[in-house]
Amino acid sequence: MALTIISLMKQVPLASEMRMGEDGLMDRTKAKSIINVDCSFGLEAGLQLKKQNPDAKLIVCSMGPPSFEVSLKKAIAMGYDEAYLLSDRKLGGSDTFATGLAIATMLRHLGFGKGLNEDFVIVAGRQTSDGDTAHVPSQVAENLKIPQGTFIETASLVDGKVHAKRIIEGGYQMMSLPVPCAMSFTPTGVEPRRKSLAGAVKANRAKVTVFSIEDINLSEEFIGLGTPGENGSPTIVSKVANVVSERAPIKMSSGHNERELVSSFLDNFKAGKNTLEVKEAKAKVEKTRDESLEVIDFRNGAKGIITWAEVVKGQISRPSLELLTPARELANDLGNDTKVTTVLIGKNVGELAKELIAYGADEVVVVDDERLEEYRILPFSEIFAQVIKERNPEIALFAATTAGRELAPRIGVKTGSGVTADCTSLEIGEHKHRNKETKVQVIYAPLLESRRPTYGESKLATIIGFVCPQISTARAGTFAVPPKDESRKGTISSFTPKLDESEFVSEIIETVIGEAGGQALFDADIIVSGGRGTAGDGMQLVKDLAQALKEQGLKAEWAASRVMVDEGVSEYAKQIGQTGKTVRPKVYVAVGISGAVQHVAGMKEAETIVAINHNAKETIFNNADFGIVGEYEDVLPELIEKVKNGFTFGIEAKA
Amino acid sequence: MESVDTVSTDVLIIGGGPSGLSAAIRLADKLKEKGVSKNIMLIEKGEEIGSHILSGAVIKTDVFKELLTSDEFNEMPFDCEVKVDKTVKLSENGETTLPFHPPYMNNIGNQIASLGKICKFLATCAVSRGVEIYSGFAVDELLYENGKVVGAKTKDTGVDHEGKPQKNFQKGTSVKAGITILAEGTRGSLAKQLISKFDLDATSNPQVYSLGVKESWNVPEGRIEAGTVYHTMGYPLIDGQEFGGGFIYGMKNNKVGLGLVVGLDYEDPSFNIHAAMQVWKQHPKIKAILEGGSVSEAGAKTLPEGGWNSIPKLYDDNVMIVGDSAGFVAMPALKGIHLAATSGMCAADTAALALVKGDTSASTLTRYKELVDASRIKKELYPVRNFRAVMQDGMILGGLKFGVQLLTRGFCLLTPDTHSDASETKKVKEFTGRPFKERFAGKLDFDKKLTFDKVTTVFQSRAMHDEHQPVHIIINNPEQFRSSNIEVYGLSEEAMCPAEVYELHIDKQGNKSLRLHAENCLHCKTCDIKSPNGGITWTTPYGEDGPEYREM
Repeated sequence: MALTIISLMKQVPLASEMRMGEDGLMDRTKAKSIINVDCSFGLEAGLQLKKQNPDAKLIVCSMGPPSFEVSLKKAIAMGYDEAYLLSDRKLGGSDTFATGLAIATMLRHLGFGKGLNEDFVIVAGRQTSDGDTAHVPSQVAENLKIPQGTFIETASLVDGKVHAKRIIEGGYQMMSLPVPCAMSFTPTGVEPRRKSLAGAVKANRAKVTVFSIEDINLSEEFIGLGTPGENGSPTIVSKVANVVSERAPIKMSSGHNERELVSSFLDNFKAGKNTLEVKEAKAKVEKTRDESLEVIDFRNGAKGIITWAEVVKGQISRPSLELLTPARELANDLGNDTKVTTVLIGKNVGELAKELIAYGADEVVVVDDERLEEYRILPFSEIFAQVIKERNPEIALFAATTAGRELAPRIGVKTGSGVTADCTSLEIGEHKHRNKETKVQVIYAPLLESRRPTYGESKLATIIGFVCPQISTARAGTFAVPPKDESRKGTISSFTPKLDESEFVSEIIETVIGEAGGQALFDADIIVSGGRGTAGDGMQLVKDLAQALKEQGLKAEWAASRVMVDEGVSEYAKQIGQTGKTVRPKVYVAVGISGAVQHVAGMKEAETIVAINHNAKETIFNNADFGIVGEYEDVLPELIEKVKNGFTFGIEAKA
Repeated sequence: MESVDTVSTDVLIIGGGPSGLSAAIRLADKLKEKGVSKNIMLIEKGEEIGSHILSGAVIKTDVFKELLTSDEFNEMPFDCEVKVDKTVKLSENGETTLPFHPPYMNNIGNQIASLGKICKFLATCAVSRGVEIYSGFAVDELLYENGKVVGAKTKDTGVDHEGKPQKNFQKGTSVKAGITILAEGTRGSLAKQLISKFDLDATSNPQVYSLGVKESWNVPEGRIEAGTVYHTMGYPLIDGQEFGGGFIYGMKNNKVGLGLVVGLDYEDPSFNIHAAMQVWKQHPKIKAILEGGSVSEAGAKTLPEGGWNSIPKLYDDNVMIVGDSAGFVAMPALKGIHLAATSGMCAADTAALALVKGDTSASTLTRYKELVDASRIKKELYPVRNFRAVMQDGMILGGLKFGVQLLTRGFCLLTPDTHSDASETKKVKEFTGRPFKERFAGKLDFDKKLTFDKVTTVFQSRAMHDEHQPVHIIINNPEQFRSSNIEVYGLSEEAMCPAEVYELHIDKQGNKSLRLHAENCLHCKTCDIKSPNGGITWTTPYGEDGPEYREM
């Protein structure tokens, strides 16, 4: 049978066009609809696989309202053969758990995922712009019991296996996946192609097959809006609050030529950046509970908090240590002698257990196996699920690292829990609920309130779940690493999982993490970074500006965006961004950098950001304090001149 | 014929404006009437029908009564009927309302509308008749067999700046068609190729154009009644130097469409129509309407105004040219929409005849010319055929000459010639008038509330261009461009372009060079028309690129 390439795709409102409705919720109806950007890279990845396998059939699937047909037809116009849409009002309000289940059920209905010898590959986007969870590909894979690769940039078929380049913190991994498998793609691989007219003609004449839940025999039990104690998704959004944006509006320089622009920039810089009026944090309202209401403890005996300690290069990763801070606080809030248990998986990792206790774990469950030297999702998710089954915790927490973000949803499917992604606050709270039939109001408590930014960080949503363990992933860098106390006492126990050889079908061929070089970037006070726009002179002017600053006695370094590394202009050690280094200098000067999210993730913590770009529309200007619109060839020499005459971006020279 | 990169159709219409859509609707009706089943395919480069449509617009509606069913006509999304129509002569700070209308300018009873909305509506009428509409595809090549047009090809995508295919390369689609109708709008790039290949303009005057810069505003309550139309003459233009004027159309819900339209036959190489529009808005009369309001959209478009004498031969074997591509605009009335639609209908009637006859050669398509001659197009254009030519003498002298022509039904002792707009531009050193910046000193600092720079206009047009593609603006002769267009004309393209596509860069040594920002392009094609020495060829970028007008 010929290979089938299945693309999972979602249509989303264009984020820049969403407006706040009068009810305080985001109004999507007036925004233009597009294919979610990551999904369009998934679509292209499928088309690239087809190039290698001309006989492959390309199908595209989605779940959503009938209006999604527009995007499904666009996929056909790009080169897909068939389109399927699962569309049913009963699916409204579904969380990611329910979505993963529904899509997997549709695929099974289409004849996929019934055994391991099938010839299909699922390609999806990493995450959607309106959800940002990155859960669904993991959940679909788990529901179909097939291996997965998330955060894949490029993939090709080699001797019946998929070779995929997976983006991880600080580098990438080459992995080999068997067929069938599921992959989710980052928006950094091959740019999605344009539709062709011949394809559009085909799409115009094609029919999108629309399924209802009855058509695919999907039960209503776990789908649709979640209701405690009844059918529906395991998690719901309980509240949404506004967030004040963190960065004040940019100050743009004005002028008709580079001299005026740079002098205007200097004036702006001296006057200081715009600041936001930070509203006084509201005094915490003392929670008062209506004593007459019945309190339902839905935990059913589940108790304790479990976390995962991710091991990278023989060390416990910092985000996993950070996780112990909210874990400890939640345990304290729950009281009743609630314990924090940390699961440590790997090869010869026992020594690290003491460290976890010193940082606040009450118990460390060690799973030591030589096959577990490198993180792989199939065995790790299976082990974790087995530990959960044995310990029956009420809460499970993961750091929202690349691994944590794919692991949590896969485990969530095994336990029947939903997952809340990328949280910035975790608290114990309660939820009032009125039974539709009896009209009796009850309180569900205690439960985990996971808060996460959403809609491009403009909103803070509180999400709660009613199935234990309540699973959340916590954004790295949000919580402080707890103080280390070597004298803390705790239990270290070992756990022997039952592992089948089939859990080891995916192989890591190679892991490439940036060399130790470029450490100076972490200590630099000012970083001058060049992007695509500075390719003209091979970043010479960027380096010259950094050099001029050094000569003024500053701790200055030059760096580069990913494109410049890809193009060979810069070494990898100098790369700033999600797949490079995350830096926090006093001043970050972004030259010719467009401001892709991946780059911004690596520099947004800089105290002051200066952007220089010839295109006033680039998103970098939304992430900067000072902006200069102009050609770098003009602006930088002028700026270098000023530095030579003593302008040091407000930083005192050390020398 | 269908394959990965070839499709076929009986009729291919290129362009989804009023002429192309009217042709599609009429043709579908005619074929149905004759009981013939044929494929009609319409391709539009804008992301959607209407995305690249910009017009005033005050529309004479009769043609749509002929084109559509009465139910459809009643559903047309006109905004409001013109109730008040005034022509105002502006001086720098004052105004005089003309006690009479210039001939052909009366608009009472016409409809104010967003032409973009009208086109979207016409598209639904076409689709309901079985027309296949594909938007978001740029057509950049006519296909020929034995020297005759046999269709067209969409642009290859997924290529880099040098045209080298990338991993996401998507080959353009060849559309084989029995009849191809070019409805690309003003200065259509395929029409331009066709006219030049077959010398279709051998006996006509050079086409001349105007550039209109338009903004849509939401203004505070009570500034202007819906249905009020003002046209302004005079300031900031100088009679005899620049031909043109402003328009202000009051629409429902305190929306106002306004703009300045200026002939491209001006001489000052530094003349800047976008900036002139901003100066015009500072006039007390206009400012009083706009102040405190906000811009919802902005954009620019050229329009052909050579009139009857500039119309090229309209057809050849298997191909016809309609609408603005052919130059059907009645200049004294400032109206072309109804003529564009009429030309589309004439071409459709001809196509229906040819398809039924099974003969699409020029000898059958000559019927198109006969139908145009018998239609309102000739009725409206012929008597005023020398209008624009005499207006090159200025509005007052020209107005007198034009008045005489009206009495004599357009007769002139000698048919006056027009010159191509590009050839009218004077060299910096030879231009003796006050250069633009000096003329409007003190009025060219834009406050971004009432007045805007070009970059803001581009933002308001929502124009976007994929950076992974060959630059779509071609410098025909780089050496000549440097030595003449830059050195002698002072890069007049920088001033003429309403979108800051062209930037004159002077380095520290004083060397001048061109910086091209093709991503700002509004697809108005002014540079293709007006660049001295015919220095620029505008080609179409990828489909879906360009402005994204909603209701312009």
